[in-house]
Amino acid sequence: MPNVPVIAIVDDDEAVREALTDLLQVTGFESRSWASAEDFLADAAIGEVDCIIADVRMPGMDGLQMQERLRRRGSDTPVIFITSAEDPVTRRRALEGGAHAYLGKPVADALLLEHLRMALGGG
Amino acid sequence: MVETFVAAIEGGSAPREPVLVEGACERARWELDTSGVRPLVEAMTSGRSPSPHWVDAVLAAARVTKVNPQVEARVGSYVGQDAMRGKPVAAFWPAESRSDLAALIVQAAGQPSQTFRHVRGIASLLLDNARLILWRTPDLGPDRLIVEVEGVARDGRSNLALRASEERYRRLIHHLPIALLQVDGRAMAPTHDRLRAEGVEDFAAYLEAHPEVVALARERVRITEVNRSAETLVDGENLIGPIGPLFAASPGALARILAARFEGHRNHSEMMKLRTRAGRVLDVRLTVTFPAPPEQADVTLVSLEDLTDRIRTEAQLRQIQADFSRAARISTLGELTTSIAHEVNQPLAAILTNAETSLRWLSRDEPDLGKVRQLTTRVAASARRASEIVNRIRSMVARRVPERSLLDLNEVVYESLLFVRHDLETRSIALSLNLGTRLPRVLCDRVQLQQVIVNLLVNGIQAMAQGSASGGSLDLATGALGDGTVSFAIRDRGPGIAPGDMSRLFEGFFTTKEEGMGIGLAICQSIVAAHGGTIDASNHPEGGALFRFSLPAATAA
Repeated sequence: MPNVPVIAIVDDDEAVREALTDLLQVTGFESRSWASAEDFLADAAIGEVDCIIADVRMPGMDGLQMQERLRRRGSDTPVIFITSAEDPVTRRRALEGGAHAYLGKPVADALLLEHLRMALGGG
Repeated sequence: MVETFVAAIEGGSAPREPVLVEGACERARWELDTSGVRPLVEAMTSGRSPSPHWVDAVLAAARVTKVNPQVEARVGSYVGQDAMRGKPVAAFWPAESRSDLAALIVQAAGQPSQTFRHVRGIASLLLDNARLILWRTPDLGPDRLIVEVEGVARDGRSNLALRASEERYRRLIHHLPIALLQVDGRAMAPTHDRLRAEGVEDFAAYLEAHPEVVALARERVRITEVNRSAETLVDGENLIGPIGPLFAASPGALARILAARFEGHRNHSEMMKLRTRAGRVLDVRLTVTFPAPPEQADVTLVSLEDLTDRIRTEAQLRQIQADFSRAARISTLGELTTSIAHEVNQPLAAILTNAETSLRWLSRDEPDLGKVRQLTTRVAASARRASEIVNRIRSMVARRVPERSLLDLNEVVYESLLFVRHDLETRSIALSLNLGTRLPRVLCDRVQLQQVIVNLLVNGIQAMAQGSASGGSLDLATGALGDGTVSFAIRDRGPGIAPGDMSRLFEGFFTTKEEGMGIGLAICQSIVAAHGGTIDASNHPEGGALFRFSLPAATAA
């Protein structure tokens, strides 16, 4: 049986988490979601994740800080940001921090899936 | 019978008490021939109602036979004693006591065969405590009357000098820049007496129940003189006549004036609408001064002040203030744009993704309709959520007339927090709420109160954003102070207020922010003050700025 990629969804907004979970399901992915960066980093299952879709602006630790922590741990799991924070400074910081993509919310499903496939394909 | 006749024509006032006063000054003394008066009296008492000109008729029929030097000095210096002989006393007798003299002459004429002596206090321009003493003794015959006037002279002027002075004042009044009208309201005196006799106390209520009384006033109360400003104001030249047209645009005003008169007030003033001859409607302040003794009963003074422009300017000012206040709300919300956009974007993202997922399901050979239904339900929920956010913003930005209602301050605090909730979360600002229980309600406009609190919240958040990237805390507190006020306080952990800025904090267009407009705090103060409250700022002893405002608790209504 081929390995079904597991996608991590990290976003404080419940409606967004649910919607992404359903999109990934209908396109054949498996997903798990967390409501905060702290919850995600503390979870041991972090190692089984093949790609991370995250928001930038969240209460507590934001998405960029989470990416930084992951890099420091030596993780090379690709991160795709989808966020309302569309300013060029944050975008640059995200990409320089190693993000695979930085997309604006609301995101078209085709765009997200394309980046997802690219991020997983490079694996 | 003559007494009752006299009483009838004089409007029902009781006959004066005859008192003999030993005068300390020279009395003016007249001798009159009243042979021409008796036929007049007989005609008047033959049952018909008295003619309004009876006073003039009687004084014209009474002729001067002799006067002393005092009389000449006071009223006749331009003709001399000799020339006064044979002329009607009407030609000389001063206006303020003409009806008194005429009444006494008529009374004397009614008692031809008896000794007659009568004393009456009168009004006089020349004398204080003026008294008219009329008598006849049998040796003088039935047609001779002695009339003496005594009193303490006010100054050395004669009646002629006074007339000249009066003419000067007349011209002055004519040219005064305030519209003045002289009104004769004596026609309503019988009604007034009747109502008093009937025991009416609430004149306003009576007049409302009896509109015919007001209708009578409209016709019988007359404008007798106007000055130039009055003619200009009303756009017309012949204002003399019934007073009704003056109140064409303010029907209730005349009733209120009548009620004030009946209640014995000296003045009455109100704003009213005045329609000019040209058809313009003006906002004027009408002030009425009713005559009181010793003033003449036929002189009611009415002044009209055109406040149309001022009222229009005040309305414009209120509009500008409302616009300014709205601009401040838009400005404050402008500082929240990013967080507002983010807040709306979340439900939009959910809607888009759910809808696209549904389409993927529907394009399968075997669509999972249950799933589609679930996703569509989520779309609807998210759309509603987005709509609520938009509505909240819209109500804050709307152009509206302030509407005060009884509010719970804590409720308004929660509503205000909704605007900045996202900002608080993303900057990890801890919020500590210390809200008083059972706060008395305040009478305020909800949106304006939200505007004040949101503005203070945004300021607190931005004060702390200047420092570290995240963190900090905002302390909010509400409470009821013992003095009948309700208070709100907010403390941040920012750098505090620079001592040099403290005095200018609430000034318009003062700001320390790069992108700030500086109208937020100025409007906060204006709103709080308009609601009868106070706002102040200080530095908290343990750091950060502390803003407080208090509002009066609504009194039980």
